Amino acid sequence: MTEQLGAETLRTYEEINERVKTGDAVVVTAEEFVAHVRDRGVETVAKEVDVVTTGTFGAMCSSGAFLNFGHSEPPIKMFKCWLNDVPAYKGLAAVDAYIGATAMSESKGFDYGGGHVIEDLVSRKEIELRAEAYGTDCYPRKAIETTIVLDDLNQAVLVNPRNAYEHYNAATNSTDRILYTYMGTLLPNYGNVTYSGAGQLSPLYKDKNFETIGIGTRIFLGGGIGYVIGEGTQHSPQNQFGTLMVRGDLKQMKPRYLRGATYYRYGTSLYVGVGIPIPITNLRVAKSAALPDDQIFTSILDYGVPSRSRPSVKKVSYADLKLGKVVINGRSVPTSPLSSFKYAKEIAETLKWWIKEGLFFLSRPAELLPNQKEFKPLEVRRHELRVKDIMTVKVTTAKPTHNIKTIASLIVRNGVDHIPIVDDDNKLVGIVTSWDLAKALAEGKNTLDKVMTTKVITARENESEDVVARRLSQHDISGMPVVDDENRVIGIVTTDDLAKLLRKWKE
Amino acid sequence: MKLRLLYTRDNVGNPVLSDIVLKTRVPINILEAKVSLNGGEIVVDVPATGKELDEIRQLFQKEGVSVKEIKSVIEIDYEKCISCGACVSPCPVQAIKQNPDWDAELDEGRCIRCLICVNACPVRAIKSP
Repeated sequence: MTEQLGAETLRTYEEINERVKTGDAVVVTAEEFVAHVRDRGVETVAKEVDVVTTGTFGAMCSSGAFLNFGHSEPPIKMFKCWLNDVPAYKGLAAVDAYIGATAMSESKGFDYGGGHVIEDLVSRKEIELRAEAYGTDCYPRKAIETTIVLDDLNQAVLVNPRNAYEHYNAATNSTDRILYTYMGTLLPNYGNVTYSGAGQLSPLYKDKNFETIGIGTRIFLGGGIGYVIGEGTQHSPQNQFGTLMVRGDLKQMKPRYLRGATYYRYGTSLYVGVGIPIPITNLRVAKSAALPDDQIFTSILDYGVPSRSRPSVKKVSYADLKLGKVVINGRSVPTSPLSSFKYAKEIAETLKWWIKEGLFFLSRPAELLPNQKEFKPLEVRRHELRVKDIMTVKVTTAKPTHNIKTIASLIVRNGVDHIPIVDDDNKLVGIVTSWDLAKALAEGKNTLDKVMTTKVITARENESEDVVARRLSQHDISGMPVVDDENRVIGIVTTDDLAKLLRKWKE
Repeated sequence: MKLRLLYTRDNVGNPVLSDIVLKTRVPINILEAKVSLNGGEIVVDVPATGKELDEIRQLFQKEGVSVKEIKSVIEIDYEKCISCGACVSPCPVQAIKQNPDWDAELDEGRCIRCLICVNACPVRAIKSP
């Protein structure tokens, strides 16, 4: 299909709004639209439907609210400020602050954060406000402690730098321990798959060429009316990673669609309800809005790899994911969403009702969002230590044919605690530590195969020192052989090496 | 049926549970166990009902182990639940399923009280009573 095909205007914003006014607008949810198109074809349905409503309800960490408290008597230029003990950003004028969803309470930690403060504000709960200042001639007060409720505030504006990702990767975990991530709880050994997004109801999939969504698009936000104010941070539409920056008046919103959340051992966040009306202005937009779950694909990534680029385990569609299980390595693995399909549907239904009742008019964007944008990584320009910089290259190894006594004397003679056991090609087959030998002596074991550990935790020479230190402490071990791609031992890295490093760094 | 077995300091060292399994041939599954200075506590799943279950309870009581029925293993607070699904796939025994409306439904019989779901819930809607 060429770019121009399907671009012929079917209806204008003005025509749609005229029909909204008279109550004649034909509005369907994205789910209904998908079903209609499947039955009767996109050309026919596109002629009838004016607006397709979308919805999503998921944890959106890049969310927060600008608050203006008003001035106390005597006034204060707040330098630091806390809401229910959650720090708010105060690098702004005297009584303006920004409370971010992922900021955490200084007393409750993971259990309560900025997202919860926003939910409590919208629930009209009383919030403890505490602030400190250095005191100036014009703002003499140096401290304040009081309570606020949402309606006391002059402005309370939700401004979310990045919401409603078009696309999300799904997650699984290849390691042998449970992982707690922003993709939820991931069981070991590919024990489950979690995924985000609302599939065929998801706003940005429904206008994937960014023909209708732009600066000034009126939307459903947190149960009230909001606006798109630009591309979201990390907007990368050519990779299906488009995002939105949105704003809306907190005072109009409802706690049902703004929920404080905690991802266990990850942090706090805010579930945000976003719904976007897609005007069916031409056939190309209609085709995008008709995209069904079985044509929306995502990759299941292995979160067991602690890297920016995680390997993909499998490509699946939302139709597959919604079945509740996928096959990985020949085994059936349970899948479940992290975003709420129930609420996403409810949001699309609510927006549809608003438009049908003439309560919500569509707005023509002042400027469309870019449909090409580079997403750059952060380069680390300082020299960082890698395993190869700290490992011991001269490794004392032994063969599986050696007896325990030989290994014990190697440990004593060379003053080491770890003896990797290698085959004739120097490939790792096991490890014996001084502790293993002490245990063997205590338990009367006397052959190497009974003493050595065969499931060896290893490191790679290009891994960073941070990652390796974390792995040592996770497995509660004091050293790891460093292996190459062929599993050949090329070094060893121990807690002693890390301690030496720390000493050097302190000097 | 899930039972909480409370051992005293006097009987905590006895193989009461094993004896009862051998005697009744009912494969009682241990879900949780802890021993303290004052005795111990085991949470078990007993795949038996009616008379058989009563008999097992009496056997424990005869050995001085008190038996409490566990009525609910975990509770989902539907006022708080946002029907997201974050608790569903992490459940190692698939005791939580989502119905066609995406609401979470607990199959108490399958639950092994591992409490992974309690932590997995982003809105703290799951509690163990």
